[in-house]
Amino acid sequence: MTDAEQVSVRVMVVDDHPMWRDAVERDLTAAGFDVVGVAANGSEALARFPAARPQVVVLDLQIPEPNGVEVTAEIIRQDPSARVLILSASGEQGDVLDAVKAGATGYLVKSASRDELLDAVRRVARGDTVFTPGLAGLVLGEFRRLSDGPTSGGPHQPALTERETEVLKMVAKGMSYKQIADRLVLSHRTVQNHVQNTLRKLQMHNRVELTRYAIEQGLDDADA
Amino acid sequence: MFRALAVLRVVVLANAVALNLYRADNFQRPLAGVLCLLVMVVWTVVAITAYADPSRRTLALLVADLAVAVGLLLLSPVVKGSGFNATVPGFWVMGALLAWAIHFYWRGGLIAAVCLAVADLAVRDHVTQSIYGNIFLIVVGGPIVGFMSESLQRMAAERDRAERAAATAAERARLARAVHDGVLQVLSLVQRRGHELGGEAAELGRLAGEQELALRSLIRTQDASSPTPSSGTLDLGAELGALESRRGVTVATPATRVELPAAQVTEVVAVVGACLDNVARHVGEGAPAWVLLESFPDHVEVSVRDEGPGIPEGRLAEAVREGRLGVVESIRGRIADLGGTANLSTGSSGTEWEFDVPVEPWR
Repeated sequence: MTDAEQVSVRVMVVDDHPMWRDAVERDLTAAGFDVVGVAANGSEALARFPAARPQVVVLDLQIPEPNGVEVTAEIIRQDPSARVLILSASGEQGDVLDAVKAGATGYLVKSASRDELLDAVRRVARGDTVFTPGLAGLVLGEFRRLSDGPTSGGPHQPALTERETEVLKMVAKGMSYKQIADRLVLSHRTVQNHVQNTLRKLQMHNRVELTRYAIEQGLDDADA
Repeated sequence: MFRALAVLRVVVLANAVALNLYRADNFQRPLAGVLCLLVMVVWTVVAITAYADPSRRTLALLVADLAVAVGLLLLSPVVKGSGFNATVPGFWVMGALLAWAIHFYWRGGLIAAVCLAVADLAVRDHVTQSIYGNIFLIVVGGPIVGFMSESLQRMAAERDRAERAAATAAERARLARAVHDGVLQVLSLVQRRGHELGGEAAELGRLAGEQELALRSLIRTQDASSPTPSSGTLDLGAELGALESRRGVTVATPATRVELPAAQVTEVVAVVGACLDNVARHVGEGAPAWVLLESFPDHVEVSVRDEGPGIPEGRLAEAVREGRLGVVESIRGRIADLGGTANLSTGSSGTEWEFDVPVEPWR
C-alpha cells in the first residue's frame, strides 16, 4: 500500500488503558494513519463511532461495559463496511471467538510489535483478514465442534471445504500465506480467499443463529 | 425451627382442650379445670410470641416453659381427683420438651424429658402399660430430637459458611481478572517499547514478555481448573497452552475444554515438551515453534512444527546403529504407549510431528 492510500485510512482506537491508547495512537499517527477518534470504554466508543466514521476500529476486548464483543456487533450492524481489529492482552479464548463471530476480521495480541500492528491495520483496512495461529486454532475448533455436535448435518450447518480446512490448519500451525501458497501450489490471493471464507461462514452462521433465536423468541414482531 | 414448634404448640393445645372438654365430666373441680385450660391457652400464646425473637430465648423463658408444663401435670390430681386416666395438659407438655431439645440439644431434651417423666409418675397412683410406654417415648424422644436439632443447625451453619466462601472466591476471582488484565497490559507495553528502544531496554522488554506469557498461561490454567472439579481429568488445551511460556512457542487450541484423563494429558504434554526441547537443541534456543491441538469425538490430534533445517537423513539410522534409542524413537514409543500414532515429516523447510491419540468415547 502506498503512503497516499494510507493517509485516507481513518482509524479509531478503543482501549481503557490510557497508556496503551496513547501508544497505539502515536504509532498509527506516526505511520500516517488518520486517527479520527479514541474511546476508553464501550459506551464512549458507540457514541463517537457514528460521527467519527472510522474505516478501522482497533478494539481492546476487555473494556468497561458494553464489552468488546457487544461493541463489535453494534459497529458492524451500524456500518457493515467498517472493519474491527481486536487487540487483546489477555487473549481470553472464548471472547476472541465471540468477537470474530460478531464480525471482527482481525485479531492481534498486544505483545505484537509495532510493525506487526501497523501491518495488521493496513491489511484489515484493505479488507483482508488478520489471523494469528491462535485464532486459526479457535476457528478450526469451532467448526469441528459444530460438525461433531448433536445438530450436525443440518441445512444451516456451516461446514468448511476440505481445502479451507487444510489452509486453516496450516495457518494454525504458524505457516505464512506465502508458505501455504508454495506448499499447495496456489496463488497468494487464493489462500487469502480461503481464509476469508472461513470467517465469513462463521459470521454468517452466527447471524443465522441470532435470527432464528429472534424469531423463536418472537422478537421479530417488534419491528413489524 | 421454633416457627415449626409454634404450629405444633397450637395443634397440641387444640387437642388438649378438645379432649378435656369431651371428658369434662371427669373434672372433680370444674372451675380449676377451666382455669388450667385457660393457663394453657395463655401460656401457649405467650410462648409463641416470646420464642419468635431469638434474643428472648433465654434460660428463664425455657425454665418457665417447663415449670408451667410440670405444674399443670402436678395439678392434675387436684383437678381430676386421684385415680385419673389422663393428665390435664396431656400431649401439650410436648411444647416445652421440644423447646428444650431444640435450644439445649440432646442434654436439654433429656433434662426436660426426665422432669416431665418424674412429674407424671409422681401424680399417678398406679402405672399402666400405656403410661409407661408414653413416658419411655418422652425420655427417649427428647434427647433424639435434641441431637437431630444440633446436627441440623450445624449443617445449616456449615452451608452458610460454604456459601460465603464461594461468594468470596468469586469476588476475588473477578478482582484478580481485573488486576491480571492491567498487569498484562503493562507487561505487553514494556515488551513492545523495550524492543523498539533496543539495548538494555530490549532485555527488559524480553523479561516482560516472558512474564506476560507466564501470567497468561497461568490465568488459562486457573480458569480451566475452577468451574468443574471433576477429579482425574485435565484440560489438554490449557496444559498445552502453558507451553507458550517457552520462548518462540505458539500454541493454538480450540476454545472449548478438551477433557482427558490426567495421566494421558500429562504424557501428551511431556512428549510435546520433548519435541520442543529438541527444537531448542537443534534449531536454536528461542527458535519459533508451533503447537496445534485439534479435538475430535474419538481422538485428539497434536502437531508440533518448526522451521529448522530438518533432521539429517543419516542421524536416525546412526542412532539405531549405535544401539541407542534416539529422541525420535523415544517420542514414537511414548505415543504408541498411549495407543496413538506419531508421524514425522522432516525436510529443509522444517520438521513437523503429528500425533494422533485415541480418547475414550464417553467423554
